Amino acid sequence: MKRYAIAFMLFVIVVAAAGFLSPGAASADEIKLVGVITKIEIAGPDATTASATLKDNKTGELVTVIVNDDLTLDKFKDHRIVVGDEIRLKYEVKDGKNISKYFRKTAGC
Amino acid sequence: MKRYLIVLSLLVVAGTAAQAKEHPGKAYIEKNGYQGPSTCESKGCHPGTAKKFLGTVHWKHSSRVDNVDNVEPGKEYGMKNRIYTMCNGNDLVNNLKEIPPNPKTGKTKFTGCNTCHPGNHISDVGSTGKDAENAIDCLVCHSPAYDYRLRKPYKDEIGRVVMGQDRSVKAAIAVGKPGVKNCMVCHEAAGGGVLLKRGFSYTKETDVHAAKKMVCVDCHGAKDHRIPTGYDPNNWANDGVRVACPDCHGEAPHKDEDNNRHAVRIACQTCHIPRTGGALAKDFTKWTQGSDGFYEPTTLRMEANETAPAYAWYNRTVANTPAFIGPKGSRADKESRIYPFKLYEGKAFFDRKTGQLLSMDFAPPMATGDTLAGVASAAKTLGIREYDPVPGWQTIYFGSNHLVTKEKALSCANCHAQNGVLNFRALGYSEEEIRKLTSAGIYFDKMAAKQKEEW
Repeated sequence: MKRYAIAFMLFVIVVAAAGFLSPGAASADEIKLVGVITKIEIAGPDATTASATLKDNKTGELVTVIVNDDLTLDKFKDHRIVVGDEIRLKYEVKDGKNISKYFRKTAGC
Repeated sequence: MKRYLIVLSLLVVAGTAAQAKEHPGKAYIEKNGYQGPSTCESKGCHPGTAKKFLGTVHWKHSSRVDNVDNVEPGKEYGMKNRIYTMCNGNDLVNNLKEIPPNPKTGKTKFTGCNTCHPGNHISDVGSTGKDAENAIDCLVCHSPAYDYRLRKPYKDEIGRVVMGQDRSVKAAIAVGKPGVKNCMVCHEAAGGGVLLKRGFSYTKETDVHAAKKMVCVDCHGAKDHRIPTGYDPNNWANDGVRVACPDCHGEAPHKDEDNNRHAVRIACQTCHIPRTGGALAKDFTKWTQGSDGFYEPTTLRMEANETAPAYAWYNRTVANTPAFIGPKGSRADKESRIYPFKLYEGKAFFDRKTGQLLSMDFAPPMATGDTLAGVASAAKTLGIREYDPVPGWQTIYFGSNHLVTKEKALSCANCHAQNGVLNFRALGYSEEEIRKLTSAGIYFDKMAAKQKEEW
């Protein structure tokens, strides 16, 4: 019984440490990154969703997120946000999809 | 009654806006194309508007200032020439240009404070004459169909840096009253990033006016492009017209007379804008290198609604010293009310000899991180030959006039408690007054009755 209890405690510690050390993880389900947009896909002026692919500045990996918020969609449509812009991004993984929760250009004046 | 009048006015405005979708002159523009202000002024439409616009703050980035300490009488101030530690440069010293190549990547880019000026940069901040009139980018503010890809700086055939414009027929025939995005395309990115400077977002989630589908110019409604502004202690330039909550809501907007009594000495914003956000602090003496190799001032960022404001008496006159820009006023001064402010601190170089803040051309530090080279470049532009740069801090109180809420407004217990949001001692109250002001006894019977009524 004691052996199972120790094994269970070790399992809990490992899982907790993995979550704590996971790079970019602001919380259990929110991931942060800064990256440059390599692709935006949006289906016309009435689209209510879009996808954007970013190249993570730290890892170089490509991350594609679904963007649903009206403000960012509008910025895609009138090209206030375009390919090449650097973005500060927060997203969550839901049902295997990356859902954008925060999508802001890093640049200002 | 007043509320119905406001709703009725909004409906009228909405109806007018709906009618305004078909802007007169569509057929003319489709036939003749759009050439800029000359098209707007043709056929007897908008005569003289371009010339008048050249006299506004949006074109001059400055105005005379009559409520700020330590400014030269008669001189105009604004982002054209001011220095403070949110924007350590200005249009003069940090003029739009191509920065030197980054030593590692060899890449360069365009940057400058006047990127948002609604001209073409050849006709720049404060310019006058026919060329300036023709250079006005009317559509960047007036078209919902503006293609912002075209509003990018580039070098022309003789090497001048030109700001592009969308003068397409598509953008021109969509012309109308400025929408939120027309304003925010510049105003949200000020201070080095999105929502950093003033720390507010204007969305239905964050502002009660936005939730009612009001746009910026519903409150900041211009006449001859002179746009009313409030009295933000750090926003000096103005077109001589002002806007304030009572313009629409009146001096006694509450059903509850106790609340109306508070409004005599407490600004509407104090209760109705309980949060602020944006940049907390910046360091212009040490810039941080980004992954693209370029450097930016090191900045502590917060979201809109993420920080608590500072509260102070404010009589709409401004203390302006190298170490502090903020409200003047006191409890004894009957012109003063308690306002909320976004508190900000900036570190930059000051001249040891004069104590004055030194400005910075961002091009050198952006390319190499060499901040003193930026100070040297700015000093050269301004003709300052001798200075001794030493790092120091400046505190700025920004006005907090957006993020308006009705549901989350402060109520009795938020302030009248021993751990309340107002520091009554700092606001000039005696210990005996504070004991009374921070006791539930002040509002207990009233809130108990209200609670009974509600439940």
